[in-house]
Amino acid sequence: MNRRFAHLLTRMYPRRWRARYGEEFEDLLETGRGDVKTWMDVVRGAVGEHIHPTHIDPTQGGMMSEVRTTSFGTVVRQPSALVPLMLALTALAVVMIHIAVYGAAHEVDEGPTAHIWQLLMVAQLPALLVFGIRWLPKAPKQAMGVLAVLVAASLAAVAPVFIFHL
Amino acid sequence: MDPGYYSDPPLLVLASLASGPKHGHAMIEDIEQLCGTRLGPGALYGAIARLEQQGWIRPLPAEERRHPYRITGDGLKVLRAKLTRLNEFSKAGLKRLEAR
Repeated sequence: MNRRFAHLLTRMYPRRWRARYGEEFEDLLETGRGDVKTWMDVVRGAVGEHIHPTHIDPTQGGMMSEVRTTSFGTVVRQPSALVPLMLALTALAVVMIHIAVYGAAHEVDEGPTAHIWQLLMVAQLPALLVFGIRWLPKAPKQAMGVLAVLVAASLAAVAPVFIFHL
Repeated sequence: MDPGYYSDPPLLVLASLASGPKHGHAMIEDIEQLCGTRLGPGALYGAIARLEQQGWIRPLPAEERRHPYRITGDGLKVLRAKLTRLNEFSKAGLKRLEAR
């Protein structure tokens, strides 16, 4: 089978699976038959792997594994990390825009800006919880680093409120 | 008459590895010789991944891009049990045919 086509077919499998079996699988496709039956078989296998993913044991065979290949960058780009980060940054932006437009004067009645900020801050809690549950068991070191960034972003969103007594 | 082909990829992989370690391509050829079934790469690696997950086969050090696999002690026990069950089924089925 054509090398590029073998690579494309292999790309249909989940990343974790490819990290473990991708190279040998691609080699098998390249040296094997390239007929429609084979394509259909690979598509069926890839769909099955997405529906019922195989648990990849990182200790086996000295091959690449999710744990070994997971970097801080990979974890921080996960939706479960990006969502709380965006919420914190949006909350910070809301406060800064409010200060820029209305000044840093304390308001007796909470306006819509305050409510939006509160909602953004509260929404971060379940998002952080989801991230922790999902990533701490898989990649504790990287997840702790990302959690530190997320907490720092949250504190940055809270800081102006306390500094300016808004 | 075409007797069809037997398709239980995990069992076929275990049976192939019972005669010694093999990589994917060698397994496909061996299984075809063994029972006439030619497994596709997707079916083969679906079986390999699940058998490895269950601890019934283990990868050996890579030979270039290929990884040979070997059957484990547990894998041998499972293979024996499955083949014994199949043998019993086969005997029972043939006995019924003879009684006709």
